[in-house]
Amino acid sequence: MGMTNSASEPTALIRAQGLTKVFGARSAVDGIDFEVRDGEFFGFLGPNGAGKTTTMRMIAGVSPRSAGTLEIFDMDPDLHGSEIRGQIGVVHQQETLDMELTVLENLLVFGRFFGMDRASIATRAAELLELFQLSDRAKDQVEPLSGGMKRRLSIARSLIASPRILMLDEPTTGLDPQARHLLWDALQRLKRGGTTIVLTTHYMDEAEQLCDRLVVMDQAKIVAEGSPRQLIVEHASREVLELRFPNGTESIDTKVLEGIGDRYERLAERVIVGCENGEAAHARALEHGLDPESWLVRRSSLEDVFLRLTGRTLDE
Amino acid sequence: MTAASSVAPNRTRSRLAAIREAAPHPTRWRHVVGYMVTVYRREWQGSVFSGFIEPLVVLAGLGIGLGVLVGDKAAEITGGVSYVAYIAPALMVSSAMNLATSEAAWPILARVAWVRIYHAMVATPLNAADVMVGAITFIVGKVAFAAAFFAGVLLVTGIATSPTGALGMIAVSVLTAFAFGAPMAAFSVTQKSDQGFAFLFRLIITPLGFFSGTYFPIENLPFAAQVLSWFTPLAHGVALSRSMALGTPVTYVWFHVGALLLWGIVGTVVAIYLFRKRMLK
Ligand SMILES: Nc1ncnc2c1ncn2[C@@H]1O[C@H](COP(=O)(O)OP(=O)(O)O)[C@@H](O)[C@H]1O
Ligand SMILES: [Mg+2]
Repeated sequence: MGMTNSASEPTALIRAQGLTKVFGARSAVDGIDFEVRDGEFFGFLGPNGAGKTTTMRMIAGVSPRSAGTLEIFDMDPDLHGSEIRGQIGVVHQQETLDMELTVLENLLVFGRFFGMDRASIATRAAELLELFQLSDRAKDQVEPLSGGMKRRLSIARSLIASPRILMLDEPTTGLDPQARHLLWDALQRLKRGGTTIVLTTHYMDEAEQLCDRLVVMDQAKIVAEGSPRQLIVEHASREVLELRFPNGTESIDTKVLEGIGDRYERLAERVIVGCENGEAAHARALEHGLDPESWLVRRSSLEDVFLRLTGRTLDE
Repeated sequence: MTAASSVAPNRTRSRLAAIREAAPHPTRWRHVVGYMVTVYRREWQGSVFSGFIEPLVVLAGLGIGLGVLVGDKAAEITGGVSYVAYIAPALMVSSAMNLATSEAAWPILARVAWVRIYHAMVATPLNAADVMVGAITFIVGKVAFAAAFFAGVLLVTGIATSPTGALGMIAVSVLTAFAFGAPMAAFSVTQKSDQGFAFLFRLIITPLGFFSGTYFPIENLPFAAQVLSWFTPLAHGVALSRSMALGTPVTYVWFHVGALLLWGIVGTVVAIYLFRKRMLK
């Protein structure tokens, strides 16, 4: 709003600097900086407790920040929360639908909260039910729907007022793979339609598939930022060799591990080796006398980025 | 506007904006009422008995049954009218209390803690205050309907004779619903489970129904209990409602009305405060 930018820099819809949230003596979010640009698919990737939900709540204007600056559409959510919320669609981590109402009623009622008139709500609701493949369930009660359908309805509901930003907090947690892929498709269609999307996830494949840009969060801080490709190039080697030792990895000599590839991480029952060529690294491991029960070579992923930056895995 | 506002320091202006953010909006709350009406249209059968039929059953049972027991003594207690006519206006407000408190209990707790739709609502242009104001308004409106139905039955059966009196009783029921619904909402938004409700209903709401002048004049209670009664909303509602119905003058009308309004307004402010605290962490 009112902001002009040079043609090369797309408008930032969300800008945070030193954003902090303290609960009691603990920081849930500790001085993070980020920017979400118009039209992009932006992700917060991090394990449970990293501070993703807290960050989303601050952006959505339902959690006053403890310190730092935060601007959404160039407005401060503490002062213009209602106006900001009118242009943001929020999908919570836990379901917040009215289970007693029908699918359609959930949408109709919600449109009114945004001050829309009944005619435009009805038109928009029909579009959204179509887009999320819920048209044939419009008159059914929500309660008995499957988890995937409920989640699609939650997203449809959040889009009723055609928000500029859609915010999704762990949208696929608890869904089966098929429901997950259906949802990914719908989100990609939305993005192509011009909606800016902010998503949190602790699934690295989700972040890798969907996000144009993401920040990796751990223990209330941002530890890395970039496109999935950039992050992998910057923080991981080309390939990864995984060696499995069901009897534990403590007894393995550090010197040996250092000699196999560019870097390594020692987990409880696995050693993860970052290297240019996985096959060659495996050969070196055998030469050094290692005897893994099994092994595999794969391309580096965001999981390896996270491991490299924090020494832990995402689902730990 | 003019020079005055541009001179106003930035801090004052942002403080005003922050207050406007937290305060109820003049009209947004009606969408919350609209939502509750949608819910109610779907499940009205469930609350028709407790809200509309049960009070009549109680009136019939107690009015006729107790009326026979009380017999000729009735006139001493009631100042001349039949026992049914004596307790009917009081039962009307005590059922307003029952309906308002139960509507402000489970339905609100469920939306905070179980189905959690309030979490979705405060993420729209509505704020926490709008949600509470709308929720309380819906409860008061629902009680108004139930009271109108009850008053209609009283008129048709001849238990009440004055239509103006009936309108007055409905107004008192609405005030009573406000006086109970708002503080109950304030309690509900702090709860994690419904165990607190059992305690509250058994220890406070149900006993109030007996000791607030509903079935016998409050003056028959020990002095301490009388004083205690006036600190609760129901006694005020009963006193007003009965005088409306029987056309007897009531002393201190504004004391009673004021007490009910005070309970409702303070309850609403506290409910908004506690709800914000719960939702906006
Ligand atoms: N309302 C709250 N009160 C106290 N601590 C909280 C509250 N909400 C979150 N936290 C804490 O803040 C940290 C970050 O939580 P959260 O933002 O939910 O992480 P994530 O969504 O990444 O799993 C956690 O340690 C959590 O326990
Ligand atoms: Mg979370």
